[in-house]
Amino acid sequence: MALLEFNTVAKNFGGLQVIRNFSFKVDPGEIVSIIGPNGAGKTTVFNLITGIYTPDHGDIRFEGKSIVGLEPHQICERGIARTFQLLRLFLNMSVRENVMAAAFPRTRSNLADIILHLPGFRREEAHVRALAEEKLGFFGERLAGTYDQPVYSLPYANRRQVEIARAMATGPKLLLLDEPAAGMNPNETHEITHLIGELRARGGYTILLIEHDMQVVAGISDRVIALDYGEKIAEGAYQEVATNERVIEAYLGRQHKATGSRGAGERG
Amino acid sequence: MTTLQQRLSPSTWNAIPLVWRYTIVLGAMALVPLFTDNEYFIRILGNVCMFAALAVALNVIVGYAGLLDLGFVAFFGLGAYGYGLLASPQLGLHLPSVLALIAVAVLSVLFGLLLGSPSLRLLGDYLAIVTLGFGLIFVQLTNTLDKIEIPGREDTFNLTGGANGLLKIDPLGLFGYTLTTVTQYFYVFLAWLIVVLIVVYRLNQSRLGRAWRSMGEDALAAEVMGMPTRRLKLLAFAVGSAIAGVTGGLFAAWQGSAFPQNFGSDVLINLYAMMVLGGIGNLAGAVLGASVLSIVPEILRNPELIRMVFYLGLVIGLLLLRPRRNGLLLLAGVFVFGLAVRLIVQAVAPDLVAAPNIEVASESVSTAFERFGQQFGILTQQWILLLKEPQLAGNLAFVALIPAVLGLARLKPGPLKLAATAPVLYLLAFVWEARLTAEPAVTRLLLVGMLLVLMMIFRPNGLLGRRKIEIV
Repeated sequence: MALLEFNTVAKNFGGLQVIRNFSFKVDPGEIVSIIGPNGAGKTTVFNLITGIYTPDHGDIRFEGKSIVGLEPHQICERGIARTFQLLRLFLNMSVRENVMAAAFPRTRSNLADIILHLPGFRREEAHVRALAEEKLGFFGERLAGTYDQPVYSLPYANRRQVEIARAMATGPKLLLLDEPAAGMNPNETHEITHLIGELRARGGYTILLIEHDMQVVAGISDRVIALDYGEKIAEGAYQEVATNERVIEAYLGRQHKATGSRGAGERG
Repeated sequence: MTTLQQRLSPSTWNAIPLVWRYTIVLGAMALVPLFTDNEYFIRILGNVCMFAALAVALNVIVGYAGLLDLGFVAFFGLGAYGYGLLASPQLGLHLPSVLALIAVAVLSVLFGLLLGSPSLRLLGDYLAIVTLGFGLIFVQLTNTLDKIEIPGREDTFNLTGGANGLLKIDPLGLFGYTLTTVTQYFYVFLAWLIVVLIVVYRLNQSRLGRAWRSMGEDALAAEVMGMPTRRLKLLAFAVGSAIAGVTGGLFAAWQGSAFPQNFGSDVLINLYAMMVLGGIGNLAGAVLGASVLSIVPEILRNPELIRMVFYLGLVIGLLLLRPRRNGLLLLAGVFVFGLAVRLIVQAVAPDLVAAPNIEVASESVSTAFERFGQQFGILTQQWILLLKEPQLAGNLAFVALIPAVLGLARLKPGPLKLAATAPVLYLLAFVWEARLTAEPAVTRLLLVGMLLVLMMIFRPNGLLGRRKIEIV
């Protein structure tokens, strides 16, 4: 059974069709990348999965059950967590607190437990603390020693990692990463590529990825889906998709008719 | 070797464990009634505790959860009126205090949820308008619910007492004792503040507090990370309102009455000022802000104290000037300039000069502090020029002061500016003496306003605030 399934999903904003008749599957343990030029609707796909938008048509299923109409926090509880293209961290909270806050759906203490510091609360608090350390520990040296600093004091690349740690703390099965390598230098890009592989290998997460950097996509994807104007134009292994004519067209623009026929002739 | 300066620096204070810091401050407050039986003084401290509890509760809603609630003060009022109705001759009910306070807390939670529920989809400015409406409606209702017409009856029913308020509210009765003295109520409010601090501190250091703060920072991200933001908003409203309600009940019992104007917009603004001054989202800051804004206006009721605050501010301001040599030069310059002016005027036109007008040690003056203030005033009047028509002279000097300050601001930094500053400062002191110390009621608010402006210029995040808003 597929972990995540899109069945003929469509989404319009006013008259604009952002997603058209889009179907795809993500199987457990896969790393799937969604690529496409700016405005192709990639982030909208993430917003549909996480319940920020509801689809106008079609069904979204997670572990076989429809998640359409659920509130975002309920979808998160089911086991889907995401990061944001333009980082949405809790800037005035410490690194540790950012991660601990995301353990909310896994914890149950109520007002009385907390105000009276009942044993159940203390146990849970210790557990959440350990959980945060564990998730942050995943990133090794880069975040070591910054746990008690406010997030606004961290450099950009480290913030990206805190955001991934925060998503991990919600206890997801599926991780949605929205351009994890955006704004990173080649070194950091290499690091994040390696890290995404580790997330699957050591963390056991299934990963759906939006990425512009083809190096990252080529390095780790089991499967690549190309979107253009909200439509799936190609799907398959990276090599297949990267050489697909429609994909190249979408990125580089349609060739003129005259040159187009010549190009076809040359290829023939 | 540590110098005294190092030992007194904030880092030393911050090194003390949090619980002990609170124990020291609140314990020191608790000891005050042992050293003085000045009721006025203890009443101010009681007010500090009350406003601190309110500011801490407001912090839960605004500082943590990020909900701009302008109806907050209505819950304070709801608690006071609720307690007043349950324990006064108004309805003939005289519930035991503890029972009445519990009922008031429940009532406040219910109204908190009621106010919260239509606000779930609103954020920021829009939420502010809805809650502001709630606050205004509350004051209006307390004013008008004294003549309720009941169908089938001739007379009208009086619920809230209208503008005359609720009177003869029962004092608190705890464990068989009836509390009547100011000191007793001070201890009640201190204990209540401690309870509120512990509850809010513990909530803040839990999944709920983290979720509230996450929501305050970025509601969408919090929701997507699995935090049910609607329920969290309602919970924040409920907790803040419950604390405000019980505080209101205690206030009604202390005052023995409740009036609509106790819960108006000025109280709301004062509470926000306390919270912002201390630093939004900071508990100790809320207590500090409440202390500053409860105590300072009281200190400034006394004209001698106003005078001292002014000169103290002037001297400290000059000493903070860098390089320090300039500050000292200016200080000496102002002093000498003042003496020179006085001697010259006395020599040239002795008819214009008035005699010092502070009487030595009148009977109203009791404490050593106030005697010192008076001595200081007498000394000042030896220095500053006192004219026979202080009002006229003060007004003229005021008019002269404005272009002088503007002109000074245009001068480039240098010896000329330094030299020109001394007479301007003297002119300022002259205006202060001639006009403003004469009307402490006005000057008091001027000073408080200036204090707020200055504090926010030097510490935009509030006294203890550490927030940083990143502009992306």
